[in-house]
Amino acid sequence: MRGRAVLDALAILLGAVTTYVTRVLFLVSKKLRPPRAVARYLPLVGPAVLGAIAIPGLIAPGGELSFAASVPSVLAALAAWGAWRLARRQMVVGLVVGLAVWWALYWAVAQLGW
Amino acid sequence: MPTPALDEHDRVRAAMLQAARDAGLLIAAYIPFGVAMGAALATTGVEPWLIVSSSVVIFAGAAQLAGIELLGAGASVALVVLTITVINARHLLYSASLEPHLAAWPRGLRMLGAFLLADPIYALVIARFERPGGAGARREQYAYVFTSGLVCLVGWTTLTAVGVLVGGLIPDGIPLELAVPLTFLLLLLPLVKDSAGAVAAIVGGAGALLASGLPLGLSTLVGAAAGLVAGGVVLSLTQGGDAGRPGATDAGASRA
Repeated sequence: MRGRAVLDALAILLGAVTTYVTRVLFLVSKKLRPPRAVARYLPLVGPAVLGAIAIPGLIAPGGELSFAASVPSVLAALAAWGAWRLARRQMVVGLVVGLAVWWALYWAVAQLGW
Repeated sequence: MPTPALDEHDRVRAAMLQAARDAGLLIAAYIPFGVAMGAALATTGVEPWLIVSSSVVIFAGAAQLAGIELLGAGASVALVVLTITVINARHLLYSASLEPHLAAWPRGLRMLGAFLLADPIYALVIARFERPGGAGARREQYAYVFTSGLVCLVGWTTLTAVGVLVGGLIPDGIPLELAVPLTFLLLLLPLVKDSAGAVAAIVGGAGALLASGLPLGLSTLVGAAAGLVAGGVVLSLTQGGDAGRPGATDAGASRA
């Protein structure tokens, strides 16, 4: 049991090291900058990666792609977007409105037995 | 919001308070995921102190979930490390993306800040640097980056510990799984400033969804790569082949 814990700790530690390397690689030295040809595309990193994280969870919440699961979550996302814009980009307003719309639709879908 | 009338001390304090507020909201949105993750990992047979420690040293939920579940299933150290590394490979893009903004920082602080560069913190920090007016003077930048990072690190570790200790007591009847994707949507929206950004986000999301069957959590990386290529094509078409950076950014201002 103790040997297993040591191996588990080693795996977590090595995983932490490789994670840190991915985070620090281009920040450790000015000689290790991204190529100049790539630099103009770097502002697209945020939209591309965050889109890849957020959108699957909104279209297929919990990994389930179906009318009953997807329509409430997509409508909740649209409501969150609209509320965020109306509230002058207040994130908390978008989150609260999005969750409220999702809960209401989630409940309605359950009541309808879909 | 800071105003020109404030002295540097006041602006630094305002940046710290704003970071604490922003990160606090993120942690609130992460409560269901963090506690559920801790509860799920507590059933794997991996020592509880190791599970909680992983939140401090890895600080990336999806990689922790996949890596520790593999450990619980008896996978080799090599496979676990490979899985964590592949899932977190997107962080390479984060360090490349932030390099122009942090170039003027001392190397030690750049390396310290990199430790905190999890998904939500990257989103907060890049939005701060790319907002109109940038992230302010150097000390304001330090205040925002390190305060938001530390609040998220402490909050995330606390949520994991709570999940490990009492996760089984939480009722299943409260649906909360949309909180995290909604949070990321709201972190994404300020970063979409032109058609190239919109295309990058939409294609990134569609690509990740289509690739969701891939192992090792590769879908996010595949989606992000597709989004970058598609956004890059739009950028080239709309801005031509000039060497200029997209006008929406203000990296120069942020180096004040």
